[in-house]
Amino acid sequence: MFASAPFVLLAVLLPLVSVLLALRTSWQQAYRYCLPILPMPALLVGLLAGSDWGLELPGLLLGGLWGVDELRRVFLLLTAALWLTCGVFAIGYLKDHNLRRFCVFWALTLAGNLGLVMAQDVASFYSFFALMTFAGYGLVVHEGTEQANRAGRVYLAMAVVGEMAILAGLLMAVQLAGSGLLMDLPAAIAVADRRWLIMLLLLAGFGVKAGLPLLHFWLPLAHPVAPTPASAVLSGAMIKAGLLGWLVTLPFGEVSLPAWGDALVMVGAVGALGGAALGLLQARPKAVLAYSSISQMGLMTLMVAAALASSEHSVVIFAVVALYVLHHGLAKGSLFLSTAMALPPGRWQRWAMWLFIALPGLALAGLPFTSGAMAKLAMKDVLKPSGLGFTLAAYLPALMTAGAIATMLLIWRFLWAFGADARTGTNSPGLWLGWASATVSSLLLFWWLPLPPGLPVKPWFAVMQAQAWSLLWPVLVATLLAGVAWQIAQRRK
Amino acid sequence: MTLGLMAGLLFTPLAWAVLTLLVDFRKGRVVTWLGMAVQMLVSLGLWAVVASDGGFLYLLGGWQAPLGIELRVDGLAVTFVLLTAVVAAACGWHASIYLDPDKAWHRYFWPLFWFLWAGLNAVWLGGDLFNLYVGLELISLAAVGLVALGGQADALRAAIRYLMAALLGSLAYLLGVALIYGQFGTLSLAGVTALLNSAEVPAGLSFALVLMLLGLALKTALFPMHGWLPPAHGIAKSPVSALLSALVVKASFYIAARLWLDLGGHLGSYALAQLIGALGGIAVIWGSWLAFRQVKLKQVVAYSSVAQIGYLFLLFPLTWGVSDAISLQAQQGITLQVISHALAKAAMFLSAGNLIMSVGSNRVDALAGVSRFLPFSLFSFGLAGVSLMGLPPTGGFAAKWLLLQASLASGQWWWLGVLLAGGLLSAAYVFRVYQASFIDDTDIDHFFHPSRSLEVIPMILALLSLGLGLMAEPVLSVMSLPFEAGRGQ
Amino acid sequence: MTLSTLMPVFALLTSLLASVVIFALPERGYRLRTVINLAAAGLKIVLVGVMIWGVAQGREYEFAFNMVPSAEFVLRADALSMLFAGLSALLWLLTTIYAVGYLEDSPNRSRFFGFFSLCVASTMGIALAGNLFTFFLFYEMLTLSTYPLVVHRGTPKALRAGRNYLVYTLTGGAVLLLAIAWLHGLVGDLRFQEGGHFAGVDPSLHGPLTIIFVLLITGLGVKAALVPLHGWLPQAMVAPAPVSALLHAVAVVKAGAFGIIRVVFEVYGLEAAEAMGLLTGLALVAAFTIIYGSTRALYQIDLKRRLAFSTISQVAYIVLGLCLFGPLGVTGGLVHLVHQGIMKITLFFCAGNYAETLGVHRIDELDGAGKRMPGTSVAFTLGAFGMIGAPPLAGFITKWTMGSGALAVGMDWVVAVLVLSSLLNAAYFLPIVHRLWFAEQHQAWPHERRWGRLETSAWLLWPPLITAVLMVLAGILANVPFSPLSWVELIVAREAAL
Repeated sequence: MFASAPFVLLAVLLPLVSVLLALRTSWQQAYRYCLPILPMPALLVGLLAGSDWGLELPGLLLGGLWGVDELRRVFLLLTAALWLTCGVFAIGYLKDHNLRRFCVFWALTLAGNLGLVMAQDVASFYSFFALMTFAGYGLVVHEGTEQANRAGRVYLAMAVVGEMAILAGLLMAVQLAGSGLLMDLPAAIAVADRRWLIMLLLLAGFGVKAGLPLLHFWLPLAHPVAPTPASAVLSGAMIKAGLLGWLVTLPFGEVSLPAWGDALVMVGAVGALGGAALGLLQARPKAVLAYSSISQMGLMTLMVAAALASSEHSVVIFAVVALYVLHHGLAKGSLFLSTAMALPPGRWQRWAMWLFIALPGLALAGLPFTSGAMAKLAMKDVLKPSGLGFTLAAYLPALMTAGAIATMLLIWRFLWAFGADARTGTNSPGLWLGWASATVSSLLLFWWLPLPPGLPVKPWFAVMQAQAWSLLWPVLVATLLAGVAWQIAQRRK
Repeated sequence: MTLGLMAGLLFTPLAWAVLTLLVDFRKGRVVTWLGMAVQMLVSLGLWAVVASDGGFLYLLGGWQAPLGIELRVDGLAVTFVLLTAVVAAACGWHASIYLDPDKAWHRYFWPLFWFLWAGLNAVWLGGDLFNLYVGLELISLAAVGLVALGGQADALRAAIRYLMAALLGSLAYLLGVALIYGQFGTLSLAGVTALLNSAEVPAGLSFALVLMLLGLALKTALFPMHGWLPPAHGIAKSPVSALLSALVVKASFYIAARLWLDLGGHLGSYALAQLIGALGGIAVIWGSWLAFRQVKLKQVVAYSSVAQIGYLFLLFPLTWGVSDAISLQAQQGITLQVISHALAKAAMFLSAGNLIMSVGSNRVDALAGVSRFLPFSLFSFGLAGVSLMGLPPTGGFAAKWLLLQASLASGQWWWLGVLLAGGLLSAAYVFRVYQASFIDDTDIDHFFHPSRSLEVIPMILALLSLGLGLMAEPVLSVMSLPFEAGRGQ
Repeated sequence: MTLSTLMPVFALLTSLLASVVIFALPERGYRLRTVINLAAAGLKIVLVGVMIWGVAQGREYEFAFNMVPSAEFVLRADALSMLFAGLSALLWLLTTIYAVGYLEDSPNRSRFFGFFSLCVASTMGIALAGNLFTFFLFYEMLTLSTYPLVVHRGTPKALRAGRNYLVYTLTGGAVLLLAIAWLHGLVGDLRFQEGGHFAGVDPSLHGPLTIIFVLLITGLGVKAALVPLHGWLPQAMVAPAPVSALLHAVAVVKAGAFGIIRVVFEVYGLEAAEAMGLLTGLALVAAFTIIYGSTRALYQIDLKRRLAFSTISQVAYIVLGLCLFGPLGVTGGLVHLVHQGIMKITLFFCAGNYAETLGVHRIDELDGAGKRMPGTSVAFTLGAFGMIGAPPLAGFITKWTMGSGALAVGMDWVVAVLVLSSLLNAAYFLPIVHRLWFAEQHQAWPHERRWGRLETSAWLLWPPLITAVLMVLAGILANVPFSPLSWVELIVAREAAL
């Protein structure tokens, strides 16, 4: 039932049609309460429809095909879940000023994000991608401040350039493949005469969205200025659309491209470490988180590099990437939402609150028994240098460790900035509910979500116990460094 | 049947001329209406006869040439007869409302009008040089009289000037005729042509042709002999201007064209043809340019006639020394140009008259607001203008198309420039008028509104000129019907 | 004279007769005039619809007679003419509705609607013309009938624009006439024919045919506003909004573009034109026009002027598509004929709404207009994104097919042109969109009018909304039968079959 045409169409169209609620000013309050409902059908599709279904829509654009495979299912789950929790949060967060406008752009962006995950033909994929990009502008500049407008300008300029690179790349790929389906592109690109150009265009085009170093300028500007629920989906879900774009178009599994692997490892390393370094210099908590996203995307780029470099591993790596995406998306969403929370006045509640704010952060750093730990272990597993045949593969473990330390440092920096910034007061029920559900899904629900089947099956709990130290020491090192830094800072005062 | 028609055609105008001479303007008007109806029916009938049975030669009174009067009733002639009937009737009708019956001298309008009509028919049908001359003189004198009807000193001055030009032209023509007669002893065009074909052409006879053409060109106001035309046409009453521009100048051109087509092959030369064509070309450009520069509305229209007449003279180079097919194409083009210009120019002068009457000034820049309050008259003016510009689907366009084809086919590509530039320049002066009328600077309708019939007449003419383009093929097919000599006596 | 012979004539006559009747109506006959206008427009849609259906079934509608010796007047409904006829019939109805609302209470309505109908009749004639001679007939008629519309306001600025318009178009017309006459003299009366006439033409004719081609394109390029023949277009936007909408979307610029299509496709034939090396130059001109128009648009502060330069750029897409001489590229170019029409008319309707409702003409006055006029602004936003070529709107379909076509024949530089033009489009449209929705209104509207409950008069609001929806549908449902894209694919298939 959930994979049937009406329901899938409902999942994508519901957010689009909801725009009609904006027709009357008096309906805007109702619209606010509808925001969490919008991604629900999609969530149901993700949870219950299983994977490997397809839906042909011959009249759509240049011939449409929507469907979900294992990889997309994870993206779909993450997207729907995160938008749902953030939608709940938005109920409490939003003010009445320009409420209607926000809801419209929220719904449109959501539709784009859900649609691009399900689209399997180039035209719909690109359409939804563009919809998400352009509607996302509305979220970025919503506050209307000078800063927001500036961020919006940069966002838009880079996004449009990115779109054009994607367009050119897709055009060339489709021309070679002779088919409008995404699944036919990698094989065609793999044997193309101008493979380098197509790959470069696609890598760069999607890289804008994925916050690749040097293509990332918009990201630390735009993510912080958006209203908090929007920041959360931007950093948690939408940033992953770029990654998905890579995964479905580049010639993974078709041909091994060690040179590209090397290049991407370097780019990923710069992103992972450089992003962290810049993030440490930020004072606003949301800016720190934005750089953390760049850093995390850098780590994911390493996996992409490995998959590109060795075709035989790409299936497994994809599964791990999916896992990482799920983990990062949920955790980052929770972290972003927490920036808008006020600390409760009571001492115990305060500490509990700090704990739950910090936990998703610690998960990012790979604290044992968190989603992050599992993701890190799986990543370590597949990025064993022995199996990967490209030059820089040897540096991957070191990079991952450095990444973990950097991540933890960033989390401390975030907590510090948050502490300096935090208000004491009460939060509306919407905020509580939204933040709590995000945190709960990051910490607990993660374990019950259907994991990507390609993942190596392991008793993860036992493995974590066994590897606890290797997971923990980077966290501790980072904590130590953070402590030293804090001491120095205190002394200077 | 045919006999009755011919008699009606030739004698009604003369009879009515005499009749109207006896009565005042108001009565003359009623009488004229009747005459116009008769004339119209007769012309239509004759046209229908020729269209169905073909043309014939008609000997007046049954005497053979050179004693008798020989009339060529061919497709072209009856078409022009019909054209004359339409345009003259329209102008006459317009004049009967437009002219002020209380001015004493206006009573002479009707006799002059009918003499003019008689002369025109004589020219279209005339088969020998002398009869043509008589018709031409009749026309000229009547036309001068009509111009003088304007009444003011200016009008008289223009009329005198016109008379001088006309007489000078007649003189030159007559001299040429005399030379021909001296050589061949016949005045019949057909006879002269036959003799030319059979015998060696004596040297110096070309001079006769040149003289005749010169005289006729002067009467047709070919550049640079056009000086008399704009003052005369501009100052005359609008229906008179319409008659003069639409028909009178065409009569002398018609004779020139027939002389050229019949005698030009032997007596003409490439240089002469090109020279005349070049003068025509200059007339097109120069006349249009002057039209564009005029401040008075009727002067614009009058100079436009100078330009449009220029086109006609392209007949000369385009029919000399080319294949029959090309020559036919050129002749058809020129014929269409004559007809469409007649209709369009009449429409334009009449509507210009209406506009001047409405705004109370003859200046172009006085037309502001006309487009809003007098759209109908303006529209006729504009439609006529479209034909003058040679834009489709008007007769002017069909003519231009055929001339373009003829120029291209005969390799005389230089006329293309004249044809195209002429069209653009005429657009310039027509739209100048339009533009002035589109200025929207008043919300009050302070204009005099002429009666409906005054407005309808130019519209009908303009629409005919428009329709001519769409119907060019059938019209032309009547003109080129075979000519059977000797039938219908 | 069977019914199928007369169908094209009827389609032409609906608007021609409407125009005559409207001219005859007194200025005050507001209600009757509106009824006649709408009835004629509706009837025309029905007629064209019937013909479209018939043509899809493979039926032919043709009416011909000899107008001038050796030159025929031919009206014919084939797949290509139906593309243009369908577009103009549809947009005429919408524009009429819009114009009725726009010209409420203004003087000279009788004149306006008379010429307006005449203009549509000419457009219909251009669509249905079966040979160059007939095409030229209506092409010039269009010039004449649009002039009074351009100068409608009677201001000095309008008159100047009108004069300029005439200078350009009439000169272009003269050049076109020369070319047509020459061609006619050279090879006789040529009907438009799928696949063209010059496939295996005598090489000795290549020289004159090349010159004629250049002349033809020059003559047509004036109306299609190919650089450097575009000077009249930005000025002509002083005309009332419905006129600009019609001028830019269907009537004038499209007439030029459509003429170029006919010449390249059905007179010369794609292959012959390519063999004679005529298309590369044209492609370069078109590409330059695309970039030039977009660049100039960036610097305009007047909304309608910006749109005008955008038109220059967009119409050149159609021409560029033709020059890609592969079926895909041609499809892209042809389909843009319709897509650009729908998109641009939406934008001009919206610009008109801002001017009429708020008195806003300049872009910097638009701040916050989205809140005051959400419907109009939604339509504008969609139009703008369509122009940029953002999926899934109509403009994307164009860009995608053209891009694919270019790559298929190895003309990769075209993709670069498309991308660059899209970037420029984004650069001049997105700031407007930003102002509409995200800028706060910081000054009172220059000249505001109120229409009760709606943001503006319903006559003004619905047309842009409908065209915006059409534009979205043309994109999303591009693969459905009778969508513009499917129809163009039918045309291209028929062209290629011969």
